[in-house]
Amino acid sequence: MTTARRMSASVAAPEGVGIEVAEQFADATQQRHAAQLGMWAWLLTELLLFAGLFLCAAVLHVTHPAAVARAARHLKVWIGAANTAVLICSSLTMTGAITASRHGWRRWMLRCLLATAALGTLFLLLKGFEYYQDYLEHMTPFLDRPYALAGEPATRLYIDLYFLTTALHALHLTTGVAILLGMTWIARKPRFLHRHQNWIEVYGLYWHFIDLIWIMVFTLIYVVPR
Amino acid sequence: MSAPDTEPSLGGLLRHMRVAVAAFAALLVGLGAIVVLGVVAPSSASSVIMLVLLAAMVATVLLFSMEVPQEPPLTRFFSGLGFAWVAILVGMTLLDYFTR
Repeated sequence: MTTARRMSASVAAPEGVGIEVAEQFADATQQRHAAQLGMWAWLLTELLLFAGLFLCAAVLHVTHPAAVARAARHLKVWIGAANTAVLICSSLTMTGAITASRHGWRRWMLRCLLATAALGTLFLLLKGFEYYQDYLEHMTPFLDRPYALAGEPATRLYIDLYFLTTALHALHLTTGVAILLGMTWIARKPRFLHRHQNWIEVYGLYWHFIDLIWIMVFTLIYVVPR
Repeated sequence: MSAPDTEPSLGGLLRHMRVAVAAFAALLVGLGAIVVLGVVAPSSASSVIMLVLLAAMVATVLLFSMEVPQEPPLTRFFSGLGFAWVAILVGMTLLDYFTR
């Protein structure tokens, strides 16, 4: 087993913190860099996916400004803001898990991972409540029921885009919480940090990226078009 | 390799996360400013300020949460390339709409 630490670390790797080198890698540093690069390559495809949706929102805003502003004012900006704060908190707890894993503090790492999963779940519950409120207010044009802004067809495009973007993000978050809980289950084993500390680092990138995307969703879809 | 650390108190953990806590506070301030501008004073000027704040928040996450500056050069190149590509995508499309 070879011990490797992230380059940002300012202290030497504590005993029992490292990664098990797979046979295709020359050393732990190469394996760690490959894992980080692989995650970044995937995150960039995700960025391009969401960027396409943000671009659609911008084009709608330019072509139908009044309708988009009217539709955006029906969105639950306070729930969106609360959810943004929840995800910012979850990024801090995820950083706590990464920091603890670098020092070999297993109990703090597990607590922070569970706190991150709990905050992710809270986000999803708030999102579900928001969707329910949209349903009650007849702001679901894709369903076979009356639509509150039926007189303005362009609003339908924007509301459909809102649901598509937020549902896609929620899907990513649901997957993220599931992976997080699975990883926490595995990480409870005493020797986890001896062999797989970089799992926490790589997963942390994904979680921070989900946070980053939501900050963009909230600002570009909920607030700016108002 | 140093000796294994003993588990610290919450304060001890937070002392190792000063940069992350500062980034957390900055993100919350940014969020508050965006909400106030968007809800209380929506206008074209406030939209520009909100977009600047958004860029600052994205940069904060990339620099301090995702620790891009500490990544190897190839990964830094990849992350920069992705955002540059998005800037080209958005910039050229909106340029078309704004100049019609």
